[in-house]
Amino acid sequence: MQLLLVGVSHRTAPIELRERLDFSARGVDRALTALSGSGAHHEATIVSTCNRVELYVGCDDVDAARLAIQRFLSEFHGIPGDQLGPHLYSKTGPEAVTHLYRVAAGLDSLVMGEPQILGQVKDAFGVASQLGCTGPLLNKLFHSAFAAGKRVRSETGLAEGAVSVSYAAVELARKIFGNLAGRTVLVVGAGEMGKLTAIHMQSQGIDRLIITSRTAAHATALAQSIGGSAMPWDALNRALVEADILITATGASAPIISRALVGQTMKARRQRPLFIIDIAVPRDVDASAGDLEQVFLYNVDDLQAVVQENISKRGSEAADAEKIITQEVARFIGWLNSRGAVPTIVALRHRFEAIRQSELRRLEPKLASLPPEARARVDEITRLIMEKLLINPTEQLKSAPDPDTVAAYSDALRRLFGLSGDETPDETLTTAGPTRTAKKPAP
Amino acid sequence: MFMNAILLLLYIAAGVAYAVQFARRSFAVSRTATVLLVLAAIAHTFVIGMETMRVGHVPSATATSAIVMFVWLLALSYLYVELTTGERSMGVFILLLLIALQTIPAFSAGLNEPRSAILESPWFAVHVSSLLFAYASFALAGVLGITYVLQFKEIKAKALGFFYERLPSLNMLDEMNLRAVKIGWLFLTAGLISGGIWASQLPSSGVPNASMSMADPKIFVALLCWAVYSFELYAQRAIGWRGRRAAWLSAVGFAIVLLNFVPVSYFFTTSHNF
Repeated sequence: MQLLLVGVSHRTAPIELRERLDFSARGVDRALTALSGSGAHHEATIVSTCNRVELYVGCDDVDAARLAIQRFLSEFHGIPGDQLGPHLYSKTGPEAVTHLYRVAAGLDSLVMGEPQILGQVKDAFGVASQLGCTGPLLNKLFHSAFAAGKRVRSETGLAEGAVSVSYAAVELARKIFGNLAGRTVLVVGAGEMGKLTAIHMQSQGIDRLIITSRTAAHATALAQSIGGSAMPWDALNRALVEADILITATGASAPIISRALVGQTMKARRQRPLFIIDIAVPRDVDASAGDLEQVFLYNVDDLQAVVQENISKRGSEAADAEKIITQEVARFIGWLNSRGAVPTIVALRHRFEAIRQSELRRLEPKLASLPPEARARVDEITRLIMEKLLINPTEQLKSAPDPDTVAAYSDALRRLFGLSGDETPDETLTTAGPTRTAKKPAP
Repeated sequence: MFMNAILLLLYIAAGVAYAVQFARRSFAVSRTATVLLVLAAIAHTFVIGMETMRVGHVPSATATSAIVMFVWLLALSYLYVELTTGERSMGVFILLLLIALQTIPAFSAGLNEPRSAILESPWFAVHVSSLLFAYASFALAGVLGITYVLQFKEIKAKALGFFYERLPSLNMLDEMNLRAVKIGWLFLTAGLISGGIWASQLPSSGVPNASMSMADPKIFVALLCWAVYSFELYAQRAIGWRGRRAAWLSAVGFAIVLLNFVPVSYFFTTSHNF
């Protein structure tokens, strides 16, 4: 069985086409059921996100399966084949494996290293496996892809560092306060950016969210929509004393929080650290307030600089990530090759065992006079000789570097030992199969 | 001494592993680092155990053997903190300190631990072990203080870089620092009191040259330490000197402890070997 990938991604197709191809609207499970109707493949998984639609299948005839998938895509989504064709890419064997691993690791994502993709690939595989659309090839392939993605995340900095302003603020807050549980966040101003940052903070399990705005109604509305408590504008000074994190995002044309006010507040807070995130333009907080001990003041440009820095750092981690991917792909290909060798190994064992049994039968009259223990010993010795003879060829076959070598070895063994194809089991998997000896019947 | 040189090599091996894991942030190396340090600490326990059997009391009556004890206690205290918090980023700093201090016994001739009746007093054992434990806590606090300042500077200067990526949060460093100072202060106080009681019993013990002088620089510096850490704890409660100021005090306090430990012990003390 061979691996085939057909798909489109943000690299090859415009958003309009990707939107039309997205399976999630009509259900990946329905698509999988419809796809397996074509009968051109044995195993299938559909990865469908807003940035990519990819179909991974295990099939016997790559060209037939590719055609079937293209036809399926254009029929299922009602897109003419000639519109779709130029945007599709298709990969087989090691290339397809590498592609999936890079996707799972976030190397192929729009924002390099973004963490959601691994979960999305996992979900995609989960759906396919629940429907029984996956088999030995895709099961192994996807599980190794998850492992590769995990390795990249834990061994490189590819997924490290926030790449959005609001998340950069959250990350900084965590570096200042550690756990955000039990912390109080004060949002001044009811703008969109303030809201977004507050929502990010909330997902970190903060204790209290206080919202205040010059227009009380705006504060109340925002508090209701994201779950916080509104506070009147003139209570700002009191709220400042309670807050650990202050997010300012008003439309005021001059700073509304002076250095003197922050200074007073710090005294009243007995110097508990205060993290001020000033995402308003023009700024809401007097920049010199950041000079105060235990006050950490970041404005939107500072956060933007952090984000830029993180993005370029991720880029420099990519080389390490690619190395890990190469290693993991080699491991998978090794497994695949050894799977390709299995039928030959089994046939060889059967052949040896058949010879041993027939010789034992032939010698039966001579052995009959021996006591039972001695006969058991003879059986044991002949079996051990057979095992010893088989060890080396088995190892060599399983560790062959590429499918061609496996094929050449298998071919030689079949000729030398007169192995026939009938003895092979039906589960054959090779990356490229010039010497496929048995075909699994379509399920 | 031969055994101490071997311990030094073990600490250096662990130190290299901690440095690599700090620089590369590799999980596999960090496990190796911990294992190496645990091995070093076990070997160290064994060496101290042997020495105790030989001289009949815990070997800490000379400056060199006190350093051996201190290195051991600091390694154990650090391991305790690492294993309870899972935080390894302090390891490289602690190991640097351990290696620097362990160099002294590794290259000194022998311990020449005296067998003496006055050292058998239980007050002596309490005095020395409390102080050594206090100093180990202060060493941790000092390292936490330094790492706090490194982290603080990067966040304050908005230049998030090497340390920002590797060190834990300011809040955690601050809290651990204060906890270490509190524990150290309690043991320092206990060590000073028991030392005073022990010294007051000396003239009646009949051992010649056993009198202690309050003017001894060793005792003076120890009292200075006590003053610094008492101030740190007071300032933290009363005037909100948390964070960077507390961190600096911990670093300064530990610098004084080190001063007392090495130069004062070897060159200046008159009556107080350790």
